[in-house]
Amino acid sequence: MEQLALFFALLFLTVLGFILGKGRAVALSGQSDQPLHSRLPYYGLYTAIWCGLPSLLIMAGWMIFEPQIAEILVKSQLKEANQSLSADQLSLYINDVINLASGGILSREPDESILEAAESYHLFKQISYFAMAVVAISVSLVTLFGSLRKISPTLRARNKVEKVISVIMMISSLIAILTTLGIVLSLIFETLRFFEKVPFFDFIFGTHWSPQTALRSDQVGGSGSFGAIPLFAGTMLITFICMVIAIPVGLMSAIYMSEYAGKNFRAFAKPVLEILAGIPTVVYGFFAALTVAPFFRNTGTMLGLDVSSESALAAGAVMGIMIIPFISSLSDDVMNSVPQSLRDASYAMGATKSETITKVIIPAALPGIVGAILLAMSRAIGETMIVVMAAGLAANLTANPLEAVTTVTVQIVTLLVGDQEFDSAKTLAAFALGLLLFVVTLSMNVVALKVVRKYREKYD
Amino acid sequence: MSSAMDMQNFNIINDPITSEPKIIARDVNVFYGASQALKSINLDIGANEVTSLIGPSGCGKSTFLRCLNRMNDVIENCMVEGRINLDGIDIYNSGLDPVLLRARVGMVFQKPNPFPKSIYDNVAYGPKLHGTVSNKDELDERVEKSLRRAGLWDEVKDRLDKPGTGLSGGQQQRLCIARAIAINPEVILMDEPCSALDPIATAKIEELIDELRKRFTIVIVTHSMQQAARVSQKTAFFHMGEVVEVGETDKLFTSPQDDRTQGYITGRFG
Repeated sequence: MEQLALFFALLFLTVLGFILGKGRAVALSGQSDQPLHSRLPYYGLYTAIWCGLPSLLIMAGWMIFEPQIAEILVKSQLKEANQSLSADQLSLYINDVINLASGGILSREPDESILEAAESYHLFKQISYFAMAVVAISVSLVTLFGSLRKISPTLRARNKVEKVISVIMMISSLIAILTTLGIVLSLIFETLRFFEKVPFFDFIFGTHWSPQTALRSDQVGGSGSFGAIPLFAGTMLITFICMVIAIPVGLMSAIYMSEYAGKNFRAFAKPVLEILAGIPTVVYGFFAALTVAPFFRNTGTMLGLDVSSESALAAGAVMGIMIIPFISSLSDDVMNSVPQSLRDASYAMGATKSETITKVIIPAALPGIVGAILLAMSRAIGETMIVVMAAGLAANLTANPLEAVTTVTVQIVTLLVGDQEFDSAKTLAAFALGLLLFVVTLSMNVVALKVVRKYREKYD
Repeated sequence: MSSAMDMQNFNIINDPITSEPKIIARDVNVFYGASQALKSINLDIGANEVTSLIGPSGCGKSTFLRCLNRMNDVIENCMVEGRINLDGIDIYNSGLDPVLLRARVGMVFQKPNPFPKSIYDNVAYGPKLHGTVSNKDELDERVEKSLRRAGLWDEVKDRLDKPGTGLSGGQQQRLCIARAIAINPEVILMDEPCSALDPIATAKIEELIDELRKRFTIVIVTHSMQQAARVSQKTAFFHMGEVVEVGETDKLFTSPQDDRTQGYITGRFG
């Protein structure tokens, strides 16, 4: 709350800086014969940035490091009081101190030392806040007047402001990259821990998946076997079924919409088709589990086939429907962007519409179409909700689409649902599966990029 | 020749400009939606000669050109009235498939538009499509012959498998001409074929047009009056959707009969 007040004070100073900076530039342009280097608002922005940015950065840094410093202080104080505490107990104590200071619930009756520590913690907090406010505001004021003094007709305000803005944009793009990197690194480290417990080749080439292990010695449980092959086989089977449905339907609807459909139909059908992509996957999931799977089972029974009530076919079919708009919409866009001049050239050669489509438009649009298919495929591989609800949990190693199979994503979900123990192979297996899945989809994307680059038919 | 006799019944505004017309257009009106682009055009295109269509932008000369191989069919809400006969057959009303018509009447466009395929495949596109060659050897021969006729063979014979889009603008346009003549059309329509090219490439294409005239009937739309004077035997001047004047190129440029033609070729408007 107090921090918010300080934040708004700094924001106010920043706005003030803008007004003062611009005002000074206006005054300068009136009295000096030399024309100003930049337009007036840039001088305002220049002062505003100088006034706001350093002080806000100081405030942010302070708020990040303050709790750590406070904790160290509390820790040293508690250590003096209770020499005998172990590290775990100490951290529990510190929690209590912080809770007490902020009015939270304690894990025990507060004793003398805790009360004392809480008192000093509270005091430290207040001093720290006061100091932060003083430092931030004075920095803000100093930079404000410093930058105001620097404003002169020769100051390249626009260049400086643009430089700052470009740095801010660069940092924004770094956030996404660093987050990805962080996720990958955490996956890698947990996976390494997993491979300390389970041999690498058992995981990669094992054909039996049964992750149940006893958590305590008195518990009955499987010994746990972590062969990932059935999971990847299941994933591939479902993805295959999905693509068998989605690719032909998606491509044909794309061809129809970009080449044959009238403007009105296209204007109506394209958004409607894209709605398919907007339906939450959980809705598809219960559609698959409650409607499609029983339908397949009943049909199978009528034909004398043994169809499991949770089958790869049901999950794959529904996923295929879900994927259609990815393929059709992207391919439609790509085919639409094939220039009219190529169509004209083909028609003028006496080609019919279908010859033009198969011999000119699709080859020219192929990179985009391949890209669309691969994007859809990595979407299908990573899809979770539909398979959780409709494909089942049994890790069968089978190529029969009528049986229940399980996928990598489903197993990650089941491994991490419920109470966890972070050092058991069962939990860590989820990270290994996640990493493997990530590697598979990443390499697919890389291959896709290569294919697209190689076969790009440049029309221009 | 009954249909040719039939044509005599139409009132002929302009002099019959050729004794052996390949294409006869009578009373052609073209509408884009409600606006009329061509107003009762009467024009004969002589066989084995170059007819150029000149006139200011938007005067309908490209529209007329696209009527001759029914490329206007592709454009929505475009309507063509009147008669256009190719060798005595009405191309609009006789049940002739436009696809077959376009195999007889080839077209070269303003901007070079080779397919994003290899040079070889660009030229082989038409023959493969129409099945006019029976085996690979014949196809090779056809491709070579077409490229030679288009004056491109020596420049590309070592890189037939490279994309046609990698050629220079002038080479691309000659590739498009080679592609058009590979199916042995009777007529070649050219819609400002040199407007995107530099003077040297233009000179090559013009030379080529003169060469091609021996085998093909050529109709060329151009904005350059010098080009029209250089390459064509007959010239038709279009203005506001009408044919104002048509005649021997020499005569039309030296002693135009109509004030508007005079104005246009001397640069007073357009």
